[in-house]
Amino acid sequence: MFDLPLFLNSSLLSIGVFHFFAAMITIVSLLVVVSQHPVKSAVFLVVDLFLLAGLYASMDSHFIAAIQILVYAGAIVVLFLFVIMLLNLKADSIKGLRFSAPEAAALLISFIGFLIMTFNVFRGQAPEGIKGGFSIEAIDANGGNTYMVAMRLLTTYIWPFELASMLILLAIVAAIVIAKKDKILKSLIQKELR
Amino acid sequence: MNVYIPVLIALGFGVALGSILSGLAHFMGPRNPRPEKNDPYECGVPKVTGATEKMSVKFYLTAILFILFDIETIFLYLWAKAFPQLGWFGVIEVMVFMTILVVGYIYVVKRGALEWD
Amino acid sequence: MGLTMNEFTVQFIATLLKFAVIAGLCINIPPIMVWAERRVPAFMQRRKGPNRVGIFKWRLYGLLQSAADAVKLIFKEEVVPEGAAKAFYHIAPVFSVFPAIMVAMAIPYGPDIQLFGYTIPLSVIRVDVGFLFIFAISSLAVYGVTIAGWASNNKYSLLGALRASAQMISYEIPLGMSLIPIVLLYGSLDLNTIVIAQSQIWKWGVVLSPISFCLFVIAMFAETNRAPFDLAEAEGELVAGFHTEYTSAKFAAFFLAEYVSMFVLSCLAATVFFGGWQIPFFDIRSLDVLIGIPGVSGLVGFGVLFVKAAFFMWLYVWVRWTIPRFRYDQLMSLGWKFMIPIGLLNVVVTAIVLAVIRF
Repeated sequence: MFDLPLFLNSSLLSIGVFHFFAAMITIVSLLVVVSQHPVKSAVFLVVDLFLLAGLYASMDSHFIAAIQILVYAGAIVVLFLFVIMLLNLKADSIKGLRFSAPEAAALLISFIGFLIMTFNVFRGQAPEGIKGGFSIEAIDANGGNTYMVAMRLLTTYIWPFELASMLILLAIVAAIVIAKKDKILKSLIQKELR
Repeated sequence: MNVYIPVLIALGFGVALGSILSGLAHFMGPRNPRPEKNDPYECGVPKVTGATEKMSVKFYLTAILFILFDIETIFLYLWAKAFPQLGWFGVIEVMVFMTILVVGYIYVVKRGALEWD
Repeated sequence: MGLTMNEFTVQFIATLLKFAVIAGLCINIPPIMVWAERRVPAFMQRRKGPNRVGIFKWRLYGLLQSAADAVKLIFKEEVVPEGAAKAFYHIAPVFSVFPAIMVAMAIPYGPDIQLFGYTIPLSVIRVDVGFLFIFAISSLAVYGVTIAGWASNNKYSLLGALRASAQMISYEIPLGMSLIPIVLLYGSLDLNTIVIAQSQIWKWGVVLSPISFCLFVIAMFAETNRAPFDLAEAEGELVAGFHTEYTSAKFAAFFLAEYVSMFVLSCLAATVFFGGWQIPFFDIRSLDVLIGIPGVSGLVGFGVLFVKAAFFMWLYVWVRWTIPRFRYDQLMSLGWKFMIPIGLLNVVVTAIVLAVIRF
């Protein structure tokens, strides 16, 4: 419906768009981590996820882009915000450069991951992925991005799809057990007192 | 990627409109702050407690359940889109998927997680 | 694939023009709705309602009262409460306004029109995911509410914001579920395709799937925090909910967001269940040839959709002055215990019936 003229529709433009989004995502992600106030972090996280959706959209993965906003930005960060408000978290005081053991381990592991990624990028070898021969034109000719995702998910990836429902079931049970833990404890204590 | 050019225009305009309205409030009106006027509104009496009291855990539970059922709805949308091509196979597949989730839903109702007391 | 420079220019200018028209419409919806919200209850309660403000002799049934109110709101003093989180306080209206404006662009306001040999669709945004785009963007509206309530440093604001956001996310699920049967029936997520499929009255969504329609209308009222689900701003308990501490143009921004999202949901209801820009027994698209003016079908289609959407807007006002407010636990149990099971059952029954008929 809406297309760029040939001279603008070059790979150069899409590379430029990618780099723009990549740079923005890096900056905003850093802001998420660096922000002192938890609510500020959550708001930057929304912006971050929105930009990520933009990155997907620029690659014509319409469905993933929409889901990114719908689920991550529209649902999961809402949960984060609720938790922040529930616990009434205040701005962190600066701790200085002291880390607990798990923090240090997490830092070390992510640093190693970062090194591996950088190494691979500069060696010019992307991690092996499934190419599958899906060009954007082929996908559009076959009924669009959403339709292709649906067909793949419901035929080739039927077991992951069904397992996802088990995963959601587990999450539901876990959420309720955690949320109701206090109540169960309270009733136990009351029984003890009697 | 190019179908998103109108989206960008809309996003830009929306943010601009919001900022303009927010800015207008800041710059257009008169400005005589007084301590009483700037107090948080509390029906005319001085503030008793702070705003950030601890909230019910219900809100948190609602948000978690929302995420899970939201994901389910999205899966159903995917199936609905491919419904004519998948036929009975897709219907049965989704019935299995939904049965598992309905078990979870019944558990939620039975444990009283949806009661607001 | 790339187009020629000429066609790109035409499409780009057309997009900007459509954008300007719809944006102008969005900005003018709140004053008109404020007027309607004063005149309709006045009519229901046998009083006059606002009818004085006018220019010279023309009073326009008090329509200019809204214009006066808009001007007044801009020049009011802004009062920032003490202890507010300043940055968030100022940015919350932006978070509220931009999703509302964005989703308004995704509605097909008329058939594709042929102008100067180019095909121009009458919706600004048309992406592959169809109306999932509307759901995705409008799910961001929660942040405006939550941040506004939290940043105000007022317990009524915070309570109202938490209530409103919990309500909005709770009813997003029934809202999404109610439209799955529509996708099953018409086989598409694209709103324009859905409209074209509803060429006759027995092909309308409301006829084929009445339960979906009921669920959608209930969820639509709850999603916009309107009566009978306006617990977020229950004035008896919470003063005004999340925008208690907002004054002047910032308050107007929240108003704008609320009315624009009401308008978008009304348009969506009209599009999905009442044939959108189509009228039964007559194909609007043939008007171009019949009258001989290109583009006239677009105008007529726009008018038809607007009348249908206006019905839902009027329904909003009607219901507000007819049905009393729910209690919060009633609201949540209606959403979670009634609408979600009914919605799931609706999907299952529709799917099985369709499968029996088609396969």
